[in-house]
Amino acid sequence: MSIGRDEVLHVAKLAELAVREDELNRLVDQLNRIVDYVAQLDQVPGDRIAEAFIPGPQAVPLREDVIAPVPLSRPPAAIAPEFVDGFFLVPRHTAMEDQ
Amino acid sequence: MSTAAVARDTGARLAEADAHGLNATLHWSQACLDAEASRVDRMAAPGPLAGMAIAVKDNIVTVEQPTTCGSRILAGYLSPYNATAIDRLRAAGALVACKANMDEFAMGSSTEHSAYGRVKHPLDPDRVPGGSSGGSAALVAAGVVPVALGSETGGSVRQPASFCGIVGVKPSYGRVSRYGLVAFGSSLDCISAFGKTVKDASRVLSVMSGPDPLDATTVNRPPMAVPAPLASLKGLRVGLPREYFPPDLHPGVAAGLRRTIDAVRQLGGDVCEVSLPNSAYAVPTYYIVAPAEAAANLARYDGVRYGPRKVGPGGDIRALYQATRGEGFGAEVRRRILVGTYVLSAGYYDAYYRKAQRVRALIADDFRRAFAGGVDLLLTPTTPTPAFRAGEKTEDPVAMYLADIFVCAISLAGLPALSLPVGRTDGLPIGAQLIAPYFEEERMLAAAAALEGVIAAGSEVER
Repeated sequence: MSIGRDEVLHVAKLAELAVREDELNRLVDQLNRIVDYVAQLDQVPGDRIAEAFIPGPQAVPLREDVIAPVPLSRPPAAIAPEFVDGFFLVPRHTAMEDQ
Repeated sequence: MSTAAVARDTGARLAEADAHGLNATLHWSQACLDAEASRVDRMAAPGPLAGMAIAVKDNIVTVEQPTTCGSRILAGYLSPYNATAIDRLRAAGALVACKANMDEFAMGSSTEHSAYGRVKHPLDPDRVPGGSSGGSAALVAAGVVPVALGSETGGSVRQPASFCGIVGVKPSYGRVSRYGLVAFGSSLDCISAFGKTVKDASRVLSVMSGPDPLDATTVNRPPMAVPAPLASLKGLRVGLPREYFPPDLHPGVAAGLRRTIDAVRQLGGDVCEVSLPNSAYAVPTYYIVAPAEAAANLARYDGVRYGPRKVGPGGDIRALYQATRGEGFGAEVRRRILVGTYVLSAGYYDAYYRKAQRVRALIADDFRRAFAGGVDLLLTPTTPTPAFRAGEKTEDPVAMYLADIFVCAISLAGLPALSLPVGRTDGLPIGAQLIAPYFEEERMLAAAAALEGVIAAGSEVER
């Protein structure tokens, strides 16, 4: 399977990653090499089907459905430039200026 | 030695390591070290790690020092809480000495992919210390700290431990809380320990282990004990998976493993050959599963939730995301996000991701069968070669991925494993890997401590 420039740009868009034109050819080469390499899983016989495997406990324990504050070593006001009335104030984005 | 003297000595050694250009630390200060010493001195009862200085990989969050994951996108980030592992170590009397350099977001096998420069191998500055926890490994190997925390997703503690000639232990998945470990591959990530000795690494793991209500994937078992070294390995059956001893294995590494097998026999243990046929697919499986999980986990670094905002062309919100992420992440992280997004995208999900999850089950089944067949531990090389030269593999991502060929199957299966230094070849350390069944860390560590007692790890092997 070969991945072309357009497909790399499409995947970059899905991943919300800007890709510079001057790095695109190299990226296409490297992604092709990686995808060709991982494609060797096709050699695993199809009849050896197994359920997907995830390590860890058999069942993830559920905690009580109650709201509890996350223990923080410093208050929210100390970790943000501005924190007013329980809200973090962030710079307004220019794209939202008209809204 | 008083705790205050430990803080002073550690500070002096950190300064010396920095001055030598090891580039293994990202954040530390004498003031933080002194404050840690005062805190420990004020503790009502000295804990089991009282006065032990510990370096912490920079993807484990700490309140007192920044956590950057070796990335520009988290430059200066200060966490509002400590990782559970950090809280437990501090409560046991350990001093957090520094944050250690690492491959960006733990993606790499050489610690050349840090936004803050590569870490040098303590024995040869032209070589790599391994990765991604290369800063932690280099600091222990250089004698700056006796122990350090790293993290494993696909071998990132065992591989640098092998390259640097120290002990590196990965616990079972679920043994140590991941709360406060910045997520990379959530079904693989494990906080792990480096030590100069098996005992020191065991002490650290013992304190960190045990269930945590803040991480639902921790298993409800009591904390791991620190095992005493076995006086003999009589009755212990050690399996040698034939797939891990290929004909082209580096001759020095092969000699190191022969020396280890001799030591097992000398201590009364039995050795037998076993087969793990699906381990041949471990690297391709890993390089589908881990990037897929990374692509999802790293979506949060978008300039809104985390990361300094960059305004992109057009000025809309997607341009902001794309510019922030495009500029904030380094080349390897971007490659893996793209691979992860590709294998999860419509039309490719079944061919890659679903298939990889199924092969992962076959890989884990191989280990289950080997242990069910009467083998107590498995013994393999940790790495196919000793530490390689800086720059040797940076242009070829697949060549870099193959440095993890003997370690990543164990991560996929969630098993505990360690790397033990067993000798040197042309002056460079060689590591042997012991692998245990799920939650049998104590058996593995006790056997490793026995081997440590009879193997002259600092001596050249006979090829």
